[in-house]
Amino acid sequence: MGSLELIVEKHTERIHHGLEVLPTLKHGLPAGLGNKRWTGELILATYEQALTGELPMNGLEYKTGNSGGGFDVLGWKSHDGVAKVDEDQVDLSISLNKRGEGKKIEIPLPIYGGGMSFGSISLNFMIARARAAKKLETYTSTGEGGYPDQIVPYRDHVITQVATGMFGVREETIQYAPIVEFKYAQGAKPGLGGHLLADKVTSEVAKMRESSMFTSLYSPFPFHSVYSVEDHKKHVDWIKTVNPRALISVKVSTPTDVDMVAIGSYYAGANIIHIDGGYGGTGAAPEIAKKNIAMPVEYAIPKVHEYLVSEGVRDKITLIASGGIRTADDVAKAIALGADGCVVATAEAVAVGCTHCGNCERGRGCQVGITTTDPELSQFIDPAWGEKRIVNLFNAWSKRLRIILAEFGLASVRELRGRKDLLVRYK
Amino acid sequence: MQETGYRRFKIESKPAPHAYPIPNKFDVSARKVRLAGMLLHEAFEYKFKKEVVLSRPCIYGVFGGRFGGFKPIKQKCVGCMRCVQEYPHIMRVKPSDEYKRLGDSFWTPEMVYTIWNEAATGKIPVKGMGYKGAFGGEGFDGIWTDMSEIVRPTRDGVYGREYISTSVDIGRKPVHVNFEKLDHTPTTLEVPVPIILDELPAGTESDDVSIAVDRAAEQVGTLRVTGKGDHSQANLPIVDEKQIGEYKQTPRILEFDAQEQGLLDKLLSDFGSTILIGRLPLKEDTSSMVSELVHRGVHGVHLYADYHGWDYSKEPRHISAALKDTHQQLVREGVRDQITIIASGGITLAEHVPKAIICGADLVGIDTTVPVALQSEFHGETQNRENCGLKPRKIDPAWGTQRLVNLMSVWHDQLIEILSAMGMRDVRRLRGDIGRSMMDSELREQSFKGIAWAA
Repeated sequence: MGSLELIVEKHTERIHHGLEVLPTLKHGLPAGLGNKRWTGELILATYEQALTGELPMNGLEYKTGNSGGGFDVLGWKSHDGVAKVDEDQVDLSISLNKRGEGKKIEIPLPIYGGGMSFGSISLNFMIARARAAKKLETYTSTGEGGYPDQIVPYRDHVITQVATGMFGVREETIQYAPIVEFKYAQGAKPGLGGHLLADKVTSEVAKMRESSMFTSLYSPFPFHSVYSVEDHKKHVDWIKTVNPRALISVKVSTPTDVDMVAIGSYYAGANIIHIDGGYGGTGAAPEIAKKNIAMPVEYAIPKVHEYLVSEGVRDKITLIASGGIRTADDVAKAIALGADGCVVATAEAVAVGCTHCGNCERGRGCQVGITTTDPELSQFIDPAWGEKRIVNLFNAWSKRLRIILAEFGLASVRELRGRKDLLVRYK
Repeated sequence: MQETGYRRFKIESKPAPHAYPIPNKFDVSARKVRLAGMLLHEAFEYKFKKEVVLSRPCIYGVFGGRFGGFKPIKQKCVGCMRCVQEYPHIMRVKPSDEYKRLGDSFWTPEMVYTIWNEAATGKIPVKGMGYKGAFGGEGFDGIWTDMSEIVRPTRDGVYGREYISTSVDIGRKPVHVNFEKLDHTPTTLEVPVPIILDELPAGTESDDVSIAVDRAAEQVGTLRVTGKGDHSQANLPIVDEKQIGEYKQTPRILEFDAQEQGLLDKLLSDFGSTILIGRLPLKEDTSSMVSELVHRGVHGVHLYADYHGWDYSKEPRHISAALKDTHQQLVREGVRDQITIIASGGITLAEHVPKAIICGADLVGIDTTVPVALQSEFHGETQNRENCGLKPRKIDPAWGTQRLVNLMSVWHDQLIEILSAMGMRDVRRLRGDIGRSMMDSELREQSFKGIAWAA
């Protein structure tokens, strides 16, 4: 084995070992790890769940962060006196197509993977996510960076994203997809479009995106072909013409009129309205956007849910929430606020070693091989290892979801939807 | 030859690195005995292959010095934590004590770092992964700006942002055309950004600092408020009754203490064509005082809170709330469009500019941010206007000028980010447009309605 291989092997082993040891707290809680949203404990608890597939037993906080608002100030009402149901009998499945026509798709847990594009993340991590989606019988999304050949074997579990740059959007990638996701906006940079920094546009990324190497790539905002719901309907028709089997998901951010956007999407033929709040992840975004533009998803979910109920179409469209879903408790709270399920991406990155340090866009990219196109760093994530970690994480989350539902006597996660009465607020 | 035709407004930034060393954000250290043991262990494990044994767990070069982990190069640490992940029994990374001590009860270390870096680079702060701070909060932190899913001012993506106007007019605008006075055109002054440099906090001004502030204001094309009575082009002097007679020519714009009885009338009579801005502290009765000033003919008001953004009411309100109060009162009276409101106090980060404008200001004045950008030192609390805990350091005026130009450039760029996300072409449309914002307190009550408080 050459020196380079040995170096990669050495660091891969050390990182994997660290991910096992750190959650034991044998060496204490690292002082520099985490922040208000992803606290050090939450990161370690995610490592632990990704390792074991079980909820942490050593007292690590695995339910909430410390942001002082949103999910972090919501808890569960006492369930004293409620007749429990058997946890093993709790059904976590949700339907992604509630319309009378089209392919019926159900996923066995109310979670699928969010879009993270090739170029912003490494190919190995992308493959790991696709493998995990297949194993869990759920989905992952390509993001807007093209559809690498290596994920074609998992295409029954891969959502093709169509965003404004149209990178990688081709007839065959639309035809592969059981679900096509229109990304109108992204919570972490609402109204601003995407930007892949020049350093990350390697020859492979440039080839995939049909562009030039080491040149910044922009996904302009907005779709210049869509300035109304009617225009959006034309988009849906276009996809339906190319792939009549595909379900349509519409990913939007959370402006004041997000409820109107949702109803418009429904009438344009969407099966899924996916609202993405500002506290979610991204490869690189201006800090001013993440903190200040559009409302957090915790506030947008009830707004959309209640409006769809009042319009009488709530049971005909699936409402998916993302943008700051960190834990199983966040998933359950989002559902209690009115979502059908959640899209998760950052937690998958944390499962394979992300520290939420935010240096994704700096230099060679992520130091543990997640958000990077660096050939050496990318090797730290072996797809099979990554798959196992992500599957374990969601297995642990499923256990926690079952506990929550069983304690409230709910036999199905569908019964939790809109049950704000089961939540309490903390000051 | 003068350039003709349309010119996109852009503030040119250039690197102006920190003149004084800044604290390392992270403190990285190794347990040396364990490190030595590990090196020995790896030497055997990898059969003394030097490049493998000495391959370090840092891609930023923290261990790239001669002594590797024994003497880490702390200033290179970005807190990625990979060294801790690989060697949790050896490595320690924590926010440095020096970093944690930065600022005061209002200025967090993160805010100080942000301003320093904006002034040094002129580049918008960009980071990966998600937001890392607190959820909402009080004051400006409790306001989110709106966005539009399908509208953007231009059709050419990020390159088109320059088409968004950030100009504002300072002065009094007539509400109707008076055909008998068509020769009396209203006097207004246009500044290309809705930001002026307010009077520097007491004790933070040296001659060099003053030169830097003047030149930066001039370069950007904005104004600098000064109590020194200097009449240069970029200056907006604060005048008192005694100084009125010193003016040989009619100044184009003046600020005055609007609490001083009779001063407005005297200024109106002596300087008929000057734009007169009444300076007032924000407190309980500010709305009625402004209303009275409008009716007496003032052209604008400069409302100020303390340097932490709290007004001077008995129960202090955040400047965002106090501004809304005054703005809405003037709207109700039908006189809001006649005058200009400048707001200052606690406007310390780029996002505070659009938020203050949403709350009713036409433009803002920045104060403590200026000495912070110039690397003044924190010596206690910065809240008090008379006794601000910022102490200036010796600077090169050219360096100081560039730091402030960079700051204005990057704030301008960020204002455009916010406006473009909202689908707005003109910052003037943002004024008082509360409907294009979202308040944490209101959303919380709407969305969490029906959720009981925990016992």
